[in-house]
Amino acid sequence: MEFPAALFPSYFGAGPPREEGGPAPVAGWGEHGQVLEGGPGRRQAQPAFVPRRGATGERWETADAAAVPVLLPSAGCWIPSPAPQDILYRSGLCKKLRAGKSGATLDFARQLGHFFVDHPEDAFGSLGQLLHKNFYLGNSKLKVTVSRNSTIRMTALVEDIDRLEARRGCPRQHLASRLRWFSHLCRDWLFEVPLGLLADCLHEELMQQWSNLLFDDSLTGGALAWLPPEDEGTPVGRLVHPGGHAMNHLYFQDVVLEELPRARGSPAQFELSGRVRQVAAARVDGEDFVGVRSDYHCGVWRVPGRTGAAPTPLQVIRTDVPASCLTVSPHLPGELSVCTQSGTVYLWSVETGLQQLRHDPETMFFRDHSPWRWSDFTAHPRVLSCADRTGLQCLDARAPKKCHFDLFKVGEEAGCQQGERVVLPMYLGRAHPSQYLVTTQFSVYVLDERLPLVPILKWAHMMKAPPLFAHLLPGNPGRCHQVLLGASRTQELLLLQYRGGSQSACQLAGTPQKLHSIGGCMQHLPTQLPHRQHLLQQRLTAPAAGLAATLQEDGPHKSLVVFQLSEAGDVFCQRLTHKAAQPPAPPSRDEATTAPGSSPLPAAALRYRRWLRALSRACREPPQHSWHPSLSQRRLFTRRDLEGPTGPSSLQRQMRQRLHQAMQEGGRIQRWEPLAVQPPPLPQALDPAAGPDPLSARLTAAWSGDWEQWWEERTSFNVAQRRRALRERRRRQKRARGCRSLSASFTSSLTYQSELSELSDAGPTLLSPGRPPVLSQESSPPAGSPAVHSPPASPAPDEALLSSQSLRCRGIPKERRKTLRDYLSVWAEGPPEPPEPPGSQASQLCIPSSQSQLSSASQPRRKRPRMGF
Amino acid sequence: SSHEHRLNFRKSKEACLSYIQDALLRKQWKRAAEFLTCYVESLEKDYSREHIGPSEMIWRIGTEILWHHSQSSMKEFNCFMEQMKTLGVKRYLKVCLEHVFHLLCNGQIDEAYQNLSLAESWRFGEQTAVQDKEMKLIEAYRGLLDYYSWSKQKNILLEHSEDGFSDLAVEQEMHSYFRKAAVNLKEIIKIPGVWDVFVKCYVDLLEFYGDHNEARQVLNEYAYNSKFPSNPNAHVYLYQFLKRQGESKKSLISALKILHDIVPSHELMIDFNTMLQKSKKRKKRRLGLEVIFAALDYAGWKENAKAWSCLARQVKQIVISEKHLDWIKQEWDSRKDWWPAFHFSRYLAKRNWQENKSLSYEKALVAGILLGKDCKYFKYVSHQGCKAQLKRFRILKKFVNRHNPVYLRISG
Repeated sequence: MEFPAALFPSYFGAGPPREEGGPAPVAGWGEHGQVLEGGPGRRQAQPAFVPRRGATGERWETADAAAVPVLLPSAGCWIPSPAPQDILYRSGLCKKLRAGKSGATLDFARQLGHFFVDHPEDAFGSLGQLLHKNFYLGNSKLKVTVSRNSTIRMTALVEDIDRLEARRGCPRQHLASRLRWFSHLCRDWLFEVPLGLLADCLHEELMQQWSNLLFDDSLTGGALAWLPPEDEGTPVGRLVHPGGHAMNHLYFQDVVLEELPRARGSPAQFELSGRVRQVAAARVDGEDFVGVRSDYHCGVWRVPGRTGAAPTPLQVIRTDVPASCLTVSPHLPGELSVCTQSGTVYLWSVETGLQQLRHDPETMFFRDHSPWRWSDFTAHPRVLSCADRTGLQCLDARAPKKCHFDLFKVGEEAGCQQGERVVLPMYLGRAHPSQYLVTTQFSVYVLDERLPLVPILKWAHMMKAPPLFAHLLPGNPGRCHQVLLGASRTQELLLLQYRGGSQSACQLAGTPQKLHSIGGCMQHLPTQLPHRQHLLQQRLTAPAAGLAATLQEDGPHKSLVVFQLSEAGDVFCQRLTHKAAQPPAPPSRDEATTAPGSSPLPAAALRYRRWLRALSRACREPPQHSWHPSLSQRRLFTRRDLEGPTGPSSLQRQMRQRLHQAMQEGGRIQRWEPLAVQPPPLPQALDPAAGPDPLSARLTAAWSGDWEQWWEERTSFNVAQRRRALRERRRRQKRARGCRSLSASFTSSLTYQSELSELSDAGPTLLSPGRPPVLSQESSPPAGSPAVHSPPASPAPDEALLSSQSLRCRGIPKERRKTLRDYLSVWAEGPPEPPEPPGSQASQLCIPSSQSQLSSASQPRRKRPRMGF
Repeated sequence: SSHEHRLNFRKSKEACLSYIQDALLRKQWKRAAEFLTCYVESLEKDYSREHIGPSEMIWRIGTEILWHHSQSSMKEFNCFMEQMKTLGVKRYLKVCLEHVFHLLCNGQIDEAYQNLSLAESWRFGEQTAVQDKEMKLIEAYRGLLDYYSWSKQKNILLEHSEDGFSDLAVEQEMHSYFRKAAVNLKEIIKIPGVWDVFVKCYVDLLEFYGDHNEARQVLNEYAYNSKFPSNPNAHVYLYQFLKRQGESKKSLISALKILHDIVPSHELMIDFNTMLQKSKKRKKRRLGLEVIFAALDYAGWKENAKAWSCLARQVKQIVISEKHLDWIKQEWDSRKDWWPAFHFSRYLAKRNWQENKSLSYEKALVAGILLGKDCKYFKYVSHQGCKAQLKRFRILKKFVNRHNPVYLRISG
């Protein structure tokens, strides 16, 4: 292991970072950093200098226009993780109030409400059952029974709540007193879980969800691994990736690296008891060891090197605190390192079990709230690095308390910015045994553990989201090593190249290169229906969850296959081809890479179509155990409400029987009338002499354009006719009326009203705005009858009303008749009542003309609310 | 509406920047250049308070484009850099340095020197800490270039002296270069940092003029000052200096001992081990065993045949002499739970045998002694060796079989 004879010059300071921080969009461009005399011309007349950054690197070009799916989407639709709008409080007023503030408000009340609705059994289980009888959910009034004293009507409360919901965001909202009373009464005992405790838990969960939305570090490391074939010749490797609805299935899928990598055979599948967060793999002695981390479980599988050999699960451990890191030793078979969020680092050996190396809930170099910890292996198999957001330390597993040294510090030592934090450390052992990669949200560092604290390379990566995934593709000695960085939320993929570390100092070579992201293939997919398009976009732009890559050498042709996993479980890949020698004056140096918008290869287009078809099929199929949301109707209605007809009527039975019979005979039913039932009387034959019916006549007239004339004719005709009929009837009534009775007077007025309604039915006068209601003038009733346009519900107090006879008829006791008379006389002079809505008018009109037959008891009851008795 | 205008301006500026970024990351230099010409407008209304302002962005992006653009020339690049220097006072020195770096990488040493001299004479009010550092670097690089000129003159002079005549002018010029270089180089190496090149050059100057004490002091300071990072090269330079000076074994060993403590995996550990093995003192030989065992702990030494032969030789010596078996036992105790899997697995036996027979021979010897004759590695290699009728493998087998009791004592 050689150490470079001279390193690039750099200052070394200690202490907290001095440079002011912040995301800088172009900070990585245009700098050589430092130069060093190197290169072959030592004995030449002039020294040759090499830059730290900006030397030419290898040329890799994307072979296709976009990433291509490798695997077909699994059955069942993907449920996207919560978006900000799901848990944030949104209201116009709130927005106005917080204008200028960037703080987000969590919608706590809505989520608590969701919990009560979605899990009523957990929220109110036992008391709900106990109180079942005391809560009445019907709409009608409670009957005066024994239960009345111990039962409350919930409908009113529900209405109050609805009203409150409608007034949400109103600054002058007041709690309905009934609600306040109810909550005051029940808050302490109604809930299964004490409300305060439940609210605390929910709030904690909400905060957790929100911080996960801002930055989810549980995915650090990525959940995708590529196990290369043992012998380089065969182009079949194995992809280890999670899948399934909850991403809790682990798949080992054979993949053939052809022009477009394709899956071969069905994968080996394991169902795990938690969502797979990370898949880490390393090859030791020709065997792959695959570590899988979920929140509370970590497992290790062994995969023999030869193709087709089945993976064997070796061991599983359970942690009380979520694990944040799992890495596999590249040195010793069956050794892993595990970190938990409580700040504990373990060396896990399949043979000897767990060995705790460190337990420290505090961060190493300065205080940081994040419980995230990471650990990886170093050049020495017994020395492990452990990291938190503030830096990295290396400790010897044989004496972890005594033997340790600082490898990286967020501080002036590495020239960090303020606010910079470690995001992902990674051992680069396959490139150089003592090299280490550390990414932060701003920069990427390469460290050499022989020269701790001073990064041998530093570059501002300019990625929009912190790089949570990294993959190393080591080059041959003297050649460039490729490092891929991947971000989760933005799906960014960046290819960097560096070389050196043993004979010459480390240099960043070439320019960084952006690779295709999964979401970028959207434009190459056939256009969908809008809602499908939306779903597709949602799926394709789901946060990335893993990154893997492999170098494929096929004679002189070298290519790089990059796999990217999304949270939806999709695995996409792209191929980068190596352009061996750069021509001295490359004409195609610029814009040689596939420009966006160019169309994909036909094979890729076919792959897209197949993937899309499988996706739509997977999403259309209803899941097998679908639980449709159901509401219990038992308590919302009384039994009487739900009581339907006791069974099919005899007619229905008969019909069914006939239907059966007809089906058995294969015949048909020509007439539906039951045989036993007498045929109804034939409709009256149309009298041809009477001309077309009024509707046809009207339509014909309207069609020909002289509808108005028709109307004139009709009204004049009709009104005259009606008037005649009316007069005739009135005369008859006068003759029949022996004495003036209330009922008679009512009848007459009602008869007239009904006639009026008939009249208005006959013609659309009242509905046509262009036509003045001439009707009332033309058909002014004879004197003595009430005015047509007075509200029929409040007829002027007739003298007859006040007669003691009529009052007695209505069941009004003798002693009150005087009061009533006085009242009515006052009321008659008072302001007229506002007209009632047409609904009630109609109901008044619908009172049958046999009103006189109404029971005398019901009459005063009807009046009471109005009169205040 | 002026506010809105400003907002829109900011938005379009951001959009333009993101297009440029995208083009750069896709190596579309022409496209990036076209966008950059639009972005230059953003200088007009620079309201930003970000720590990288538009003028710095233009400098960075422009430089990157000119590095890669197929039609750019050095002349254009220089012209652009001169303009960029005038754009911001705070960044002047930084831009100068980067300009110089580019000139140096393109072999234009004289232009670089001119630029450095120009930058050195630049004064503008009070300097910030960062500018101070940059100024020191500018001076140091000028010192470095002076050193190269000195070195050139020295070579000329040496050639002339071989020819038998001396050139006074050349000599004087050389001395003036020495003075200029020494002043600047001396300054920067006082500040904590990694100054490998500058230290080397300065020591070379001092040694040429016979100022060995100063050289030693400089190297000691560079290696042992706790404010400096623990740079293995500092110790290597000191060791090489001591070696050149013909210092005693003792001081060489103590220099390497410190290097061993800092970087047990350094390549000089082979030399160190050889040196210690030859020593007559038991303690040193003991240290030698420790050193070679420690070096072989590292993954980078796994297949280093030289290191394995060092270990094999020393182990063999100890076994034959049957003295100090406890040394091996002590070293082995902390390694016996993981060395077998790390070094002596059957898989490695196969691979080592295929790839490097002499490596597998040395390793088999060590494995046979440490793990006994039944160890997988030894069995496989000795079997293959005997099958291939290689004499030394047969001797190896005999040796291990004869000394099998040693294994029992070590592992016991």
